[in-house]
Amino acid sequence: MPRWGMVIDLDRCIGCGACVVACQAENNVPINTEDVYHQRRAIAWIRLERYWEGEFPNVKARYIPVPCMQCTNAPCEPVCPVYATYHTTEGINMQVYNRCIGTRYCSINCHWHVRFFNFWEPKWPDSLKNQLNPDVTVRSRGVMEKCNFCVHRIVKAEQKAKVEGRALRTDEVTTACAQACPTNAIVFGDLDDPNSAVSQLLAQAEREHRVYRLLEDLGTEPNVYYLKKVDVEATATAAEAH
Amino acid sequence: MRYIRLILFVLVVLVVMAIPLALVLARTYFLSPTAQPVKAQPIQFPHQVHVQAIGLDCTYCHRNATTSAQATLPALELCMQCHKIIPSQGRPELEKLVAAFQQNQPILWNKVHQLPDHTHFVHSVHLSFGFQCSTCHGDVGAMGKPGVKQVRDLRMGDCITCHQQNGARTDCSVCHY
Repeated sequence: MPRWGMVIDLDRCIGCGACVVACQAENNVPINTEDVYHQRRAIAWIRLERYWEGEFPNVKARYIPVPCMQCTNAPCEPVCPVYATYHTTEGINMQVYNRCIGTRYCSINCHWHVRFFNFWEPKWPDSLKNQLNPDVTVRSRGVMEKCNFCVHRIVKAEQKAKVEGRALRTDEVTTACAQACPTNAIVFGDLDDPNSAVSQLLAQAEREHRVYRLLEDLGTEPNVYYLKKVDVEATATAAEAH
Repeated sequence: MRYIRLILFVLVVLVVMAIPLALVLARTYFLSPTAQPVKAQPIQFPHQVHVQAIGLDCTYCHRNATTSAQATLPALELCMQCHKIIPSQGRPELEKLVAAFQQNQPILWNKVHQLPDHTHFVHSVHLSFGFQCSTCHGDVGAMGKPGVKQVRDLRMGDCITCHQQNGARTDCSVCHY
């Protein structure tokens, strides 16, 4: 049984936003208008956070892509009164749209703000209606939705492996965001498989002391790992200051 | 006459309670897919002729059943492979088919087997584990003129029971995503 996880190397991230677009297209996420952002009701299963670092002449942009952390002890799960959000045996925090009654307790309890509520029926411009992914449900008004590590791809690959009578191969599945990333900053795979790309990347980064997780001290054991930026200039300035 | 108000009260309560009960019963009856009447189709396609009389395999027309999620309906070109040499004069259903083919218009069949919302069913996996089409669809080959009728419930209880009996996974994410 695999344990799915993701590694995001912030040293490689250039903040292009390809992951956001890929996710939007893959998972039938509605297009957010400006109004929706002002209402703070925008839906983006993975978002790109931008931070400015430093004073004006030496200012630097820092980017963090934030998908759902797929916490092992997910705070969103126990608050659901109808068990619409639950943990699969493969470590994915799933949302069952049929069960969801839209209490929004889960989004309130999520510290990463990666759960989104459909306040209205989703709308697409006519030109995009034929690009909806048939493998993914179009969520209707009144249900929560969230990143599920492209579970339809995982299910498809597992079914293919089953038909061919074999186990899932290492790194056979990848998510839309990881696939679209031009610099391979996002890597997806099985954390329990020592040969997978994520495990090897983690093991290497562990030696360099670069691994961290967002809001790790909450103890929810997220399955999305970040590798921190290697800033040569900042290290040099810090060395000079000492 | 002493108890007339009590009797009236009890009667009113019974009537009030009967209304939701009747509604619930009616709802379950009308929602049961197997209880639905046969759906009208643009062409009254007789499976009986194609399967029993001619002996076609299901996958001759529903070509993608073994390889993909959807069994798919055949394109009109496939129908016309045989029907271009079968006379259609005087047979209204066949005339409709030929007319649609000549006008390059698809036939808008009505979907018979409706799954619940937000559910994904994959034909290829079920067939590769040796299940017959008739396990879920019944003996379609014997269904004649009016059209195909759904014979199995195909709601979640039905799916789960079969999955449990056959040792298949019952995780929500197997079907709901």
